[in-house]
Amino acid sequence: MSTSEPPRGSATSESDEFGFAPDHDEPVPYRKRIHDYYVTLGFGTPYRWAHYADVPFVAVTKPVAKMRVALVTTAAPYKEGAGDQGPGASYNNAAKFYNLYSGDSSKDHDLRISHIGIDRKHTTAEDINTWFPLPALRDAAKRGLIGEVAPRFHGLPTNRSHKTTLDVDCQDLLSRVQEDRADAAIIAAN
Amino acid sequence: MSLAARTLEAAGIPTVVMGCGKDIVEYVGVPRFLFSDFPLGNPAGKPKDKASQAATLALALRVLETAPGPRTTVQNPIRWNADGLWKLDFSNVDQLSKEEIARRRAEFDKGKEIAKQRLADDRKKGTAA
Repeated sequence: MSTSEPPRGSATSESDEFGFAPDHDEPVPYRKRIHDYYVTLGFGTPYRWAHYADVPFVAVTKPVAKMRVALVTTAAPYKEGAGDQGPGASYNNAAKFYNLYSGDSSKDHDLRISHIGIDRKHTTAEDINTWFPLPALRDAAKRGLIGEVAPRFHGLPTNRSHKTTLDVDCQDLLSRVQEDRADAAIIAAN
Repeated sequence: MSLAARTLEAAGIPTVVMGCGKDIVEYVGVPRFLFSDFPLGNPAGKPKDKASQAATLALALRVLETAPGPRTTVQNPIRWNADGLWKLDFSNVDQLSKEEIARRRAEFDKGKEIAKQRLADDRKKGTAA
């Protein structure tokens, strides 16, 4: 590996001629990047992503404008004493949480994303509305884009164990969304 | 988060995922996905740009309502910036010096210990964080 200044994306002569975008300008191949990163940095077995051939799908029969919509987030409530949680925090393991939590959708909340593998160079995490669109969802309800916001939003742990996510967290989430009689859910990943 | 979408959908609750990791979400496989080609951490729009946040949510709601079938991905037309050079940086070993790799290794080992302790604490409490 060279320590000299790496190349920073360049337009080819073709892109000049035909107006093509430069080679780097496509969705980031995160799985490959993370795999190579794990291997190069000696992090042990590369992470194995969940992967399915079949995808469930339920037809939407009700207009969204009449729906009660739930919001699900991976963000964590700000925790006093758990170190720098941003904006601009480095990866903060102490800010992680391991149990599903819920909050009152009619109120504002201080949720952070320092415990998640966000882009730490280009995402400063200074504006909660870029990862937790609860105020925007309330606005959408006011404007009639949705019927109403479900009474609670839900915070899902980003636990590394697929088993815990599937058997515990997702089931717990389902129960709460059903209790709230939500018609649909928006899931803000990161 | 993709697993949450799948679980809710399988139980009859339609979902839409808002996210920035296109290959990851599509690899898992979700019913509906609004992909924003932004750095990870901005699934709901650009910082301090209320118009982009409102437009992103509105588009997610349209994807929710109009997706014709599973694995529907719609790409948010909003650009993070003009040159897209940010895409070269994330976990890109080709862009790191040997010194930087060594530094990150040390940081990772330290972080793992903290997480272990935190997990033990949460398990003991058994309550929401």
